[in-house]
Amino acid sequence: MPGFDFSNYNRNAALHARGVPLPKATSTGTTIVGCIYDKGVVIAADTRATSGPIVADKNCEKLHYIAPKIWCAGAGTAADTEFTTALISSNVELHSLSTGRDPRVITCMTMLKQHLFRYQGHIGAYLVVAGVDPTGTGLYTVHAHGSTDKLPYVTMGSGSLAAMSVFESTWQPDLDRDGAVSLCAEAIKAGIFNDLGSGSNVDVCVIEKDKPTQLLRNYEKPNERGTKERNYRFPRGTTAVLNERVINKEDMKKYVTIENLSGDTNLAENMEVDS
Amino acid sequence: MTSIMGHPAGGEGIGYSFSQPTAANVKQHGFYPYTDNGGSTLGITGSDFAILAGDTRSTSGYNINSRMVPKVFKIGGEDETGEGAQIVLSVVGFAADGDALRERLDAMVKMYKYKHGKPMSVSACAQRLSTILYEKRFFPYYVHAILGGLDEEGKGALYSYDPVGSYEREQCRAAGAAASLIMPFLDNQVNFKNQYIPGSGEGHALEAKKAEPLPQATVEALVRDAFSSAVERHIEVGDHLQVMIITRAGIQEVFHPLKKD
Amino acid sequence: MDKLVAQYSRPQHQNELYSEQEQQDLSQTLPPLSLKFSLPPVDNRASFLRAMTDDHSNPSCPIKLAHGTTTLAFRFQGGIIVCTDSRATAGNWIASQTVKKVIPVSRLSRGEDKPSNDPTPGLLGTMAGGAADCQYWLRYLSQQCTLHEIRHKRRITVAAASKILANLTYAYKGYGLSMGTMLCGVTPQEGPALYYIDSDGTRLPGNLFCVGSGQTFAYGVLDSNYRYDLSEEEALALGRRAILAAMHRDAYSGGFINCYHVKEEGWVHHGFDDMNPIFWKTKLDHGEFSNVTSEL
Repeated sequence: MPGFDFSNYNRNAALHARGVPLPKATSTGTTIVGCIYDKGVVIAADTRATSGPIVADKNCEKLHYIAPKIWCAGAGTAADTEFTTALISSNVELHSLSTGRDPRVITCMTMLKQHLFRYQGHIGAYLVVAGVDPTGTGLYTVHAHGSTDKLPYVTMGSGSLAAMSVFESTWQPDLDRDGAVSLCAEAIKAGIFNDLGSGSNVDVCVIEKDKPTQLLRNYEKPNERGTKERNYRFPRGTTAVLNERVINKEDMKKYVTIENLSGDTNLAENMEVDS
Repeated sequence: MTSIMGHPAGGEGIGYSFSQPTAANVKQHGFYPYTDNGGSTLGITGSDFAILAGDTRSTSGYNINSRMVPKVFKIGGEDETGEGAQIVLSVVGFAADGDALRERLDAMVKMYKYKHGKPMSVSACAQRLSTILYEKRFFPYYVHAILGGLDEEGKGALYSYDPVGSYEREQCRAAGAAASLIMPFLDNQVNFKNQYIPGSGEGHALEAKKAEPLPQATVEALVRDAFSSAVERHIEVGDHLQVMIITRAGIQEVFHPLKKD
Repeated sequence: MDKLVAQYSRPQHQNELYSEQEQQDLSQTLPPLSLKFSLPPVDNRASFLRAMTDDHSNPSCPIKLAHGTTTLAFRFQGGIIVCTDSRATAGNWIASQTVKKVIPVSRLSRGEDKPSNDPTPGLLGTMAGGAADCQYWLRYLSQQCTLHEIRHKRRITVAAASKILANLTYAYKGYGLSMGTMLCGVTPQEGPALYYIDSDGTRLPGNLFCVGSGQTFAYGVLDSNYRYDLSEEEALALGRRAILAAMHRDAYSGGFINCYHVKEEGWVHHGFDDMNPIFWKTKLDHGEFSNVTSEL
């Protein structure tokens, strides 16, 4: 059976009732924004992923690919945004193959909202969907419960208020590409500095008709770590060792097949895993 | 509270438990007087100095209340600038309780000086702080306090407290939101826990590295590194680092920038 | 004349704050019940306190209090042995590994707690449960014992001291105190005496007690090896071994083994030693803990 497995649902509900805490999912705090301009649309995101008050990832990617000219910024539960966008991306591809047309942003948005509505908010994905298609530029927000919005500039996540304050004070209707990119970056930075759930760097994605989509990863890095003042390298032998055993290649051969590779580091990336 | 007798504390007397979220007999508490204002503090002592430090961010939830709310205070100074003080108190947790506690202790130390004509010793101040905290045993101050100064021999003295006043003199202590990030670092770098002297023996004969008081420059660098690292991984710590260095010459207060995201 | 008056009258500010209150406290045998402690403005104070501080029924409570853990004391022919671990936990967090859980009680006869081979006269109290509760009330007891000494010109008996504490905990029953303490001392009237007092108001005299979350592990070792006629070395070794067993199996116990011997002349401190090397020594030299192995 494809889809979700609910077989542990009753057990987990019973455990929770007895006071066992649920495991923490990564990331709820985020700032994501989107803004349309004369020829296209820009979306941007911060790069902090949190687990409670702890920063789980300082430079994660919150901009997800749907189609070459449709991208999604995700807030909420990290795994849910990741898998929902991947699923919809596949379905959008199949849809465009069967219709023989370029995918439309509104199609993607509709698929997302129908998927999310079916799960009544239990899939915690809050998304900004943006792209260009034969009908023009599209920019939507999709909430976890399935509601959507279509606006010229949008913000989502815990930093949405900070980011929206930038849009509300400085957005103009006739922005050009650079103006839209820097406005989005400013909005994200407002989230980074004023919302504790957001932080680190700014990622930007620019989608324009007749131009390849640009993913500007780490477009701005306003929070680089300074150097440490002391050296924390331990001299060899600092850690107590009770016992040691050396396992050499000959022993390993009993369990796995070993193939020697040259020292070329690119080789590992080029290796075929499932041939 | 863990029952000291080994059997669980629940079930006797109180009509509810937090572990039953659905039952109808759950009583909602309308009275919730505490907020966690985040932030972290840290203190380390040496042979002739004590250093107390804290970040200056004040938070509630995902919001920053202010980027400049000091957590480290001079106690028993002559005026509001803290001139002439010899004791330093740091409080982290609920800022309003922290302020109330600081004001009470400050008043106590000043009264002591007026009554006895000599400044209060750190050990006496430490004991007094413990009783101040315990007086609110049934309605606690939501704070983790650290008290620093120089003892009668001129050595660095540091006392750490739990919210209801149990206290202990220590070499180093981290408190607050990032305590669980900073304290293991301090255990390793100040008390040299889990560090052994290379080549001093085989197996169990390997000698553990002995903790010795560190020089002031080293401690200052450790404090800054501890905070710049805590800022990287804890969202409630940041903005500025406030450092108080207590030596025989007096108290020196320094601010360093921290990341603001 | 004004000068004389000024010399003998107290300035106004000295009458402020607690001075009168403090004097009252010193002359009273019991503290006033509700005057001194501030209480939350709610109907059910115990449940408020539990909601804010009880980490057993509410793991996400805002205020985590430091707790003490395995302690033991037993009488034998040479006096009383008192041993404790040194760990304090607040929820799952190890708040400290260096807590002194043996607290000297009574001031007049108490010296500084410095390493010395000369016995220090006085009683010893142990700390299990809430660290602040134990520290504060044992200090209060110390004050009462000192006053007793001044009033009656002789040291208080362990029975009397333990009764002061038990009456106190009984008076505060239901307020949410958490303490399990053992009072030990040797007095001319009683000989070696050992009492267990806890926050429920229990007060028991006895030969052997273990208190805290690791008590069962300590009892296991102690009960199987205890004899009244143990020599001093054997008794100290047994105390240490029982604490070691508790530290090994109980996650809330650990750190250092703290050992005291109470005899007629007073108490003697017998070290505050890291458990780790002791554990490995016990394992390798005596072949115990054979389930623990460093073999690969």
